[in-house]
Amino acid sequence: MKAIVQTRLIHLKKHWVSLIFWLAFPVIATVAIMGLTNSLQQDSKVPVGIVLEETTPLATTLVDSIKRTPIIQVYQLSEEEALYQLQQHKLDSVFIIQDGYEEQIMKGSRNRLIKSYRSDLSFAYTPIAEMIISYVQQDTGRTKAAYTIQELNKQYSNSTQNWTWGEIIEKSKDIEKEENLLYTTFRFFNADTEADANQFVLFNPWGLWAVFAFLSTCMIMDWIIKERRKSLTPRFSFMHISLKSYLLKNAGLYLLLFIIVDIMTLILFKFNMREVITQDLIGSILSFRLILLMGAFLLAILSTRLPTYYGISFILTLIIAIISGAILPNEGLMTQYPWLEIANPLAPFLSREIGYGWFIVFGSLIGIWFVRKEKRNVKGA
Amino acid sequence: MLKVHNLSKNYGSRSVLNDVSFNVKEGEVIGLVGENGAGKSTLLQILATLQRPTSGSITLYDKSYENKKKLRKEIGFVPQDIAIWDEFTVEENMVFFEKLAWGNKTKDQLKKLCLDMKLDRWKEPVTSLSGGMKRKLNIAISLIHDPNLLLLDEPTVGIDLKSRKEIGNYLQRLASDKGKIILYTSHDMDEIITLCDRIVCIGEDPFYQDLLQKAGKSIIPV
Ligand SMILES: Nc1ncnc2c1ncn2[C@@H]1O[C@H](COP(=O)(O)OP(=O)(O)O)[C@@H](O)[C@H]1O
Ligand SMILES: [Mg+2]
Repeated sequence: MKAIVQTRLIHLKKHWVSLIFWLAFPVIATVAIMGLTNSLQQDSKVPVGIVLEETTPLATTLVDSIKRTPIIQVYQLSEEEALYQLQQHKLDSVFIIQDGYEEQIMKGSRNRLIKSYRSDLSFAYTPIAEMIISYVQQDTGRTKAAYTIQELNKQYSNSTQNWTWGEIIEKSKDIEKEENLLYTTFRFFNADTEADANQFVLFNPWGLWAVFAFLSTCMIMDWIIKERRKSLTPRFSFMHISLKSYLLKNAGLYLLLFIIVDIMTLILFKFNMREVITQDLIGSILSFRLILLMGAFLLAILSTRLPTYYGISFILTLIIAIISGAILPNEGLMTQYPWLEIANPLAPFLSREIGYGWFIVFGSLIGIWFVRKEKRNVKGA
Repeated sequence: MLKVHNLSKNYGSRSVLNDVSFNVKEGEVIGLVGENGAGKSTLLQILATLQRPTSGSITLYDKSYENKKKLRKEIGFVPQDIAIWDEFTVEENMVFFEKLAWGNKTKDQLKKLCLDMKLDRWKEPVTSLSGGMKRKLNIAISLIHDPNLLLLDEPTVGIDLKSRKEIGNYLQRLASDKGKIILYTSHDMDEIITLCDRIVCIGEDPFYQDLLQKAGKSIIPV
């Protein structure tokens, strides 16, 4: 094995740039596409200026709720700056949470809590204003409910005068109605915006990564075709290693290299995309990598010319991308041809399973290839 | 001693070698001549264990050709097509094949092997070498495991006279100083006549036989 490592290093020295490029390609491409879709999402948000005149808990919670809304990009500014930017049309609208906000809410007052500005080009003012009002109503509703219950409690325990049944029902209906009203408004906006957000999360990072990993594995394994060149095959008869063992052992080295890169990818995704590393994920990545390598190995063994090999690799990548749903939603395709799901080598990985099927198929094919006797008529030697 | 006895080779119904028999002693350089397609490469490949004869027997140092694995350590085969890594330097080629060859050689030994043939571009990429230099490297790689039987298929084809002489001299020294058995093919009759102790004519065409007889060379009847 030492000889294999040493001879491999001589080869790698000649094309380490392309090797590193293709090793890094799946991660870089995935991160780039995820970043791009995120920034697209960012760009399509409505810029809204918020001016906070007081920093009471209720006021800051309100700002936080607004910030969490997917369709809004909140800029917290001073009043002067916010109005200036509104004039420049850098902001769609401006909302000022006025001094005394919490106090007014506590009192149950709804007057002049928030001052709003819009420009002649504001297009999202009304829905955003309604949404903010719904948040405020939520706050006032809650305070009101709390206040009412407090009052009820006081009256119930302190006074000798009993509440009639009708009075309690009336009161709770009152509260319910208000809460319901608030609830629906709240739901409406949230549901809407959540749907919007979902549309932007087109790609699952591991799905993207798997498709790119497929392509990069094929590109990296092209050494098999380059090193199996006809003129050199007679040499391997006069060495202590046969050409087949040479290819297999080198493929083993590449497997090791790939696994190291995969572990690095896993760590990177963990920090970058808050992926949770589970045993299932690690197991499915390792088995996915093994299947990829075996598949690329077989493809390279069967191809004699580089252009053919590259061409087939690209086409297969495209097919796999499509049947995995990485490019287009493929619900219809899947229900029409359920075997696609079974045939897709990415499927077990995407559902965090170990793909035994392809492993067995590829493993047996490689086994057959290895023990099969080569025809002895070496032409051109 | 290499003994070839009643060797025949057919490709399908086509007979290429027909009852070829000859013996070669240590220290001898044998030339194989014959027109294109006569079967010179086929004979060399059979002697190199890369092809099986249809019938007949071969022994090298009284070892039969049945156990290929063991035999191959004794054989150095220089393919007609240059078999080197084009993207490597001379040094990298030598080191690469040394790592996978039987036995061990130091870098100095490998370098000397090249220098013996006047191949001195140790650090240069193969792409910058002349045809003669590439042929020399092609031979040097086949000699890394110190084989005793050397089979060279047109080792000097298409290269300049100086390189041809250098390769020829080297082969002669290998035979006379180290007792190697050398068989090689060439279309250059002058080279064959000056270099070879005896000559095997392959094929039916009497042209080569006449030519060699006129030059007073000893022809091995096959
Ligand atoms: N693997 C093979 N299968 C079928 N025919 C072959 C094969 N190798 C060589 N031949 C044929 O055998 C004949 C001898 O070939 P070869 O030994 O290469 O001749 P030479 O080296 O003397 O030019 C040629 O006619 C060639 O076409
Ligand atoms: Mg030939």
